[in-house]
Amino acid sequence: MNQVPRFLSPLGLTLRAAGCALFCAATLPVTAAPDAAPTPSDAEVAARASALEVAGAFSNSGFKSRDGHIFAALTPKAPQFIQVNLYSGNQYWFIAAASSPAKRLAVTVFDEKGKFVPTELYENNAQAAAGFSPQSSGPYIIRIQELEGDPATVCLLYSYK
Amino acid sequence: MFSRFIIPILLLASAGAVTAASPAPLTAKELASVEKVDSVSIPTPAELMAALNKVAKPNWQSRYRPPIPTTFASRAQIALNLGGLIADGFIAVEAEDAQQVKNTGKDIIALAKCLAVSESVIARGNSIFDFAERNEWNTLKEELEATQNEVKLSLEQQHDTGLVSLVSLGAWIRGTEIISGWIAENYTPAAAKLLRQPEIIALMQAKLEALPPKAKEDPLVADLIAQLPELQAQVSFPSDKTPTQTDVKAVQETSAKLMKRITTKLNAKEKK
Repeated sequence: MNQVPRFLSPLGLTLRAAGCALFCAATLPVTAAPDAAPTPSDAEVAARASALEVAGAFSNSGFKSRDGHIFAALTPKAPQFIQVNLYSGNQYWFIAAASSPAKRLAVTVFDEKGKFVPTELYENNAQAAAGFSPQSSGPYIIRIQELEGDPATVCLLYSYK
Repeated sequence: MFSRFIIPILLLASAGAVTAASPAPLTAKELASVEKVDSVSIPTPAELMAALNKVAKPNWQSRYRPPIPTTFASRAQIALNLGGLIADGFIAVEAEDAQQVKNTGKDIIALAKCLAVSESVIARGNSIFDFAERNEWNTLKEELEATQNEVKLSLEQQHDTGLVSLVSLGAWIRGTEIISGWIAENYTPAAAKLLRQPEIIALMQAKLEALPPKAKEDPLVADLIAQLPELQAQVSFPSDKTPTQTDVKAVQETSAKLMKRITTKLNAKEKK
């Protein structure tokens, strides 16, 4: 039974917030699994693995990955918007990766009023990332778009330094 | 599949080309649809500390506090203090103080046991000891957040979803107390501007307001609901404004007052 809360978005999409889940359990000395451990779907596992692969590249440059991440059910032409709260001076990479039905993703950053924020971009089929250093601390909005493909599960996480 | 060595090269190659087009501003409908999710919308204390490290050289050890009680009757109070201890763990990691990391890790485990969280949380706590022993500071930052998430996951499994927000809230208030305290004593405009976070408390407030009626009757939760707006007003200055040293001191005093309330054991009369 899956007990991790799901957040129904106004777009009718589903977001799922998650903390550690399976990946950490596989690499750290966990002695016992929770009684009712949430079971990520295969698509979620694949999406997070793909996102972590990109995050791993940034770790070589000193970026630390947040353990927190979210899953979203994404469809073409129906982007998902997530609020993050950032600190000026830090550098951030927001990384999205989707399961196989998605063919091409894009990540875009906006400020709290919805104005586009220029970023460095990385796009590789169903993996995408946007990196920038905020000029002021406060809320920003991350837009995840599926540019090509069929409905898919996407994972968003971020790294900072 | 991209290897971790290939991606940075591709990033450099692709960055300029893809940033050419400027997307239109978000519409009111899109702004209204923005999701706020605890796991990514609430920054960790480590992110604030990283930002302060960019503009100053804080003496992190000066931010330690005396050990707090590790037994509380209220689950809400335990959750809040667990968050506060996670923030303390981040300070100890910034100070690269293995013994302090272990001391904090021990307290985290003690409090986590009071919540009857799963064995996986205890295992996380034990791994904090191991990483501290090996001075793996970057790994410890990820491990502390993972421990916090493991606690939240365990609370969700116990159908204590309301407490999840309290863990984040405790961590954020303690982090704000630590950082504002240091900035108040070592004021610079650049450091003071870091304190701007107009949305975080609003998000926390919304989660507190959504707690079940019984949880909101907890005296500590009721106090927080009443007192958080003061802190929210103090960290909600416009992005082009620089807080004065007096403003920063006000943030420090309010967050310290909240932390004192969070760590103070309730007497029998208050529990009623």
